[in-house]
Amino acid sequence: MTTAVPASRRPTKPRRSPLIYVGIAAFIIITLISVSERWGIGLDIGGIIADLGRGEGILRQMLNPNWEFLPRVIEFSSQPPFVTGPLVETFQMAVVAAFIGCAIALPISFLSSRTTVPNRATLAVSRGILSVVRAIPDILYALIFVAALGIGPLPGILALIFFNIGVVAKLLSETVDAVDTGPIEAVDAGGSSRTQMVRWAVLPQVLPNYVAFSLYAFELNVRASTVLGIVGAGGIGFLLRTQYAFRAWSNVSVIIICLFVVVFLIELVSIRLRRRLV
Amino acid sequence: MIIFDKASVTYPGGVHALKDLTLEIPDGEMLVTVGLSGAGKSTLIRAINGLVPLTGGDVIVNGVSVRGASSKQLRELRSHIGMIFQTFNLVKRTSVLNNVLMGRLHSTSTWRSMLGWYRPDDVEIAMQALERVDIIEKAYVRAANLSGGQQQRVGIARALAQEPNILLADEPVASLDPPTSHVVMRDLQRINRELGITTIVNLHFLDLAKVYGERIVGLRAGELVYDGTGAQADENVFRDIYGRSLTADDLMGAPEPAPATVSA
Repeated sequence: MTTAVPASRRPTKPRRSPLIYVGIAAFIIITLISVSERWGIGLDIGGIIADLGRGEGILRQMLNPNWEFLPRVIEFSSQPPFVTGPLVETFQMAVVAAFIGCAIALPISFLSSRTTVPNRATLAVSRGILSVVRAIPDILYALIFVAALGIGPLPGILALIFFNIGVVAKLLSETVDAVDTGPIEAVDAGGSSRTQMVRWAVLPQVLPNYVAFSLYAFELNVRASTVLGIVGAGGIGFLLRTQYAFRAWSNVSVIIICLFVVVFLIELVSIRLRRRLV
Repeated sequence: MIIFDKASVTYPGGVHALKDLTLEIPDGEMLVTVGLSGAGKSTLIRAINGLVPLTGGDVIVNGVSVRGASSKQLRELRSHIGMIFQTFNLVKRTSVLNNVLMGRLHSTSTWRSMLGWYRPDDVEIAMQALERVDIIEKAYVRAANLSGGQQQRVGIARALAQEPNILLADEPVASLDPPTSHVVMRDLQRINRELGITTIVNLHFLDLAKVYGERIVGLRAGELVYDGTGAQADENVFRDIYGRSLTADDLMGAPEPAPATVSA
């Protein structure tokens, strides 16, 4: 049962655009220029190998963590609140910022989607604001707030809130763009207001995604707050900075190990939860 | 009473979906519109509740001009018009009852609807709507867990919960198998007869149209080409509406509950 199709009707394979080769070549050339000694950063592999042994002393101290330092990182007690210390502070910063940031991100994401805002001007304004919020990196927020409010967890929390608004509102507004529009038409046809439409035809469709994005934001916060602490925004990062300044490498390594354990555990739980949600 | 007065719809792409349509639909009628896909059936239905804006003429629904209506007036008008869809258009991730309660949003305040605190009276109306289409036992089941026929009955219940005086059904059985199609069509017929709700149904199966259409309106390329009773509509009439001879695909072919008299 093989009926031959006339050869003339078979389409010829379309030729690939030459642009892709130009693109690959350009990418390679830019990379080569960037590593060259003359025009770029001068990546010298030989130098790296020659200097390999220099960090040996530091590394040896780090491999010998000073566990006496542990109570300065995290301390357990039988009285409430049971755990204290900068590591707990980092965790708390991450929780508070994720909660506030995600709460603010929810309405912003509805205001930034074509599905829920047909008015082009409104859409342009809210998307513009969101782009500005996203364009500023978290560390820059932290530097600004530390300068304005002084050292401590508050500037760190504020920086993380802006960081979370950017991440969650962007991800969620893209999810809202892609919802099934059938229920929207149905609710519109029933004579309800736009707010009611968003609440009943859109929100239930994106709710699992929203919870997953919020967990993801929290996950990012734990990691980001460490870096923010280094510029003075509280938490474990601040302790890391002081120990680094003292060149107390065996203390630094205790901090790094603790951080690794906490981040790893949080990610483990968060990834499992997110997988069940979406 | 619904009056089409030289109503025209031209889509932004330049397609004339409805051309100078003039039609009167008295209260309590069961009207079936037939025509090929693209003939303008969906546009006709959506012109009644303003989901598709008119570009010429007007549609008067219960004395209100749809074309001239402000967005507030349009919402008020829509609250009296229930709508049923080919793809059911339920929110699948939420319960059947929540879906039916969406039919009560038009008379629920913003803060109540935000919190989902529907008044007990509204919940009662939703429950009664579910009883009327005989699916009350699924009230707390997620809509995603229902079969197609069950989902469409929830769609009907949602429309009924509005307590409408007009019911629009856009290809309500196109995604269903023949026996289920008859169940849904009989539900619509019963609602039309018992509650006196003006019912307008788009269909593309001619045998279904003949069985359930008290009155049949035929559309071709956006123009009215037939307007008469279901009994009068014979093979020649349908051939004229479709502009071609009929095929087996134009019939659903399940002779239930009454034997179909159209032959292919």
